[in-house]
Amino acid sequence: MFDTVLIANRGEIALRILRACRGLGLRTVVAHSEADSEASYVAQADQALCIGPSAPGQSYLNQSALLFAAEVSGAQAIHPGYGFLSENAGFAARVEQAGLVFIGPSAACIRTMGDKVSAKRAMRKAGVPCVPGPDEGLPEDPAAVQAIAREIGYPVIVKAAGGGGGRGMRVVHDQAALLDAMALTREEARQAFGNPEVYIEKFLLHPRHVEIQVLADSHGNAVWLGSRDCSLQRRHQKVIEEAPAPGIDDALMAEVGERCAAACRQIGYCGVGTFEFLYEKGAFYFIEMNTRLQVEHPVTEMTAGIDIVQQQLRMARGERLSLAQPDVRCQGHAIECRINAENPETFAPAPGRITGWQVPGGFGVRVDSHANAGYRVPPYYDSMIAKLIVHGSTRTDALARMRLALAEMRIDGIATNVPLHRELLRDEGFAVGGVDIHHLERWLQQRSAA
Amino acid sequence: MKQEQIKTLIDALAASDLAELEYSEDGSTLRLVKQSALAAAPAARRLAAGRKAPAAASAEPAPPAAAAAECLAPLYGVVHLQPAPGEPPFVQPGQAIEAGQMLCVIEAMKMFNEVRADAAATVQAVLVRSGQEVDAGQPLFRFG
Repeated sequence: MFDTVLIANRGEIALRILRACRGLGLRTVVAHSEADSEASYVAQADQALCIGPSAPGQSYLNQSALLFAAEVSGAQAIHPGYGFLSENAGFAARVEQAGLVFIGPSAACIRTMGDKVSAKRAMRKAGVPCVPGPDEGLPEDPAAVQAIAREIGYPVIVKAAGGGGGRGMRVVHDQAALLDAMALTREEARQAFGNPEVYIEKFLLHPRHVEIQVLADSHGNAVWLGSRDCSLQRRHQKVIEEAPAPGIDDALMAEVGERCAAACRQIGYCGVGTFEFLYEKGAFYFIEMNTRLQVEHPVTEMTAGIDIVQQQLRMARGERLSLAQPDVRCQGHAIECRINAENPETFAPAPGRITGWQVPGGFGVRVDSHANAGYRVPPYYDSMIAKLIVHGSTRTDALARMRLALAEMRIDGIATNVPLHRELLRDEGFAVGGVDIHHLERWLQQRSAA
Repeated sequence: MKQEQIKTLIDALAASDLAELEYSEDGSTLRLVKQSALAAAPAARRLAAGRKAPAAASAEPAPPAAAAAECLAPLYGVVHLQPAPGEPPFVQPGQAIEAGQMLCVIEAMKMFNEVRADAAATVQAVLVRSGQEVDAGQPLFRFG
């Protein structure tokens, strides 16, 4: 049983994990790069170890350095956060081989779900609804490929088995373009993911992005903690998330949620995870599973009243789930805005020194951030510097609270997307709820045309 | 230019308090820059701003547009002087460049921002190292 956790990540999530560890009386070791050595959360840890230069490849992605940091600090567990090594099956295996606990599912589970074709096969087996199309890679024979696409019906999407998160895919509208698209995607996949396998699915035109948060122990128990809607995306990056997904029939949602929990039990999943779905015309279609903690987990924490990161740590320590499905009662509505250091018009990154930092507060308002006045946002990592989360008794209540919170928020010295969020919260479509995944891109196009 | 002639010029530069020396003969041009001149950049930059006599003997015509004496970093980030590790740099000291030519790339938050020349010029000195953090407004290149 571990009592010391090495946090192998940075920024707001490193601080979030640190807080969860504190709540459970666990010792914390923060592994950080040179660029992050002055960050305030690093000083808050029981121990801090510099593991390398600023470039992620030499620090947060340096597996040997992280394992060495765990060894010298006496940490018996490693929390990978999100991004970086969080879904790297090879790293999870090395941590396990070193006799340490990887805070996440087993390397085998990560591997199965990391391959989109094997994930789809596992989900079909567990009765989780999937996008129409075979759960196996495409054959080489052109005639066979065309036959498969014809059976699915155009438009179809060619995807890399090793892809994910919006990378390695190509939409095909008719048979004339199919074989070229397949060859191109295969070649890209070979180079980007080291795996040339591709598969095809029906391409949905106006889906929403709806996901289910799950929590599973190592004793065969699993529950789902409600739904989230993350349809407001730009270039496959989520901008605003909310819980629950609005306007979806409760009974249908419960059925899909239960299927996800059952899938966890079936594949021996342990820890927290997210099943991502496309939702269109009242039907769910599984797209991928994230085998880690997610950026947007706080909206579920606010509605379910459960500290997801503490639960994740408890599951990794081998504890039994202390709650059964009927104990999970989601209340009210939560919304999260990702605050990025970027130009709100051009989206150009804007690292640099924060000179003024005034965050909103009050009832139902939460800010998860590692930044403060005087903090210099480094240019080496992604641009998210804070998450602004609100909770309300209803969606309307939560929207009103978010508008007030955004009006109160002031960040000086660098450009941020706070003005963009203010505008989005005034958008009629978003206010009504249930917009599709192309809504934000359309909205941005209209804005630039105006 | 003969090797011993070049050596004579190096010795001449070393013995003087000049920061750099440019010598042209029969259409070929040799430019020598003292290492210490890079460290003492601000003072050297003032000197370099004016065009010097040896340029008159150069076979190359003067740049058509008056280029700014320096190229400044448009944003805070990590500067890359070559397209990929192990590849030759985008530009080198002594190189004549055209308007719009790529000079370097500044990486910020996984985005690569191209830095291009405003006008035709000759690169006199590269003032930063590849992989170094640069502030917005920091001089990157000095032009002639």
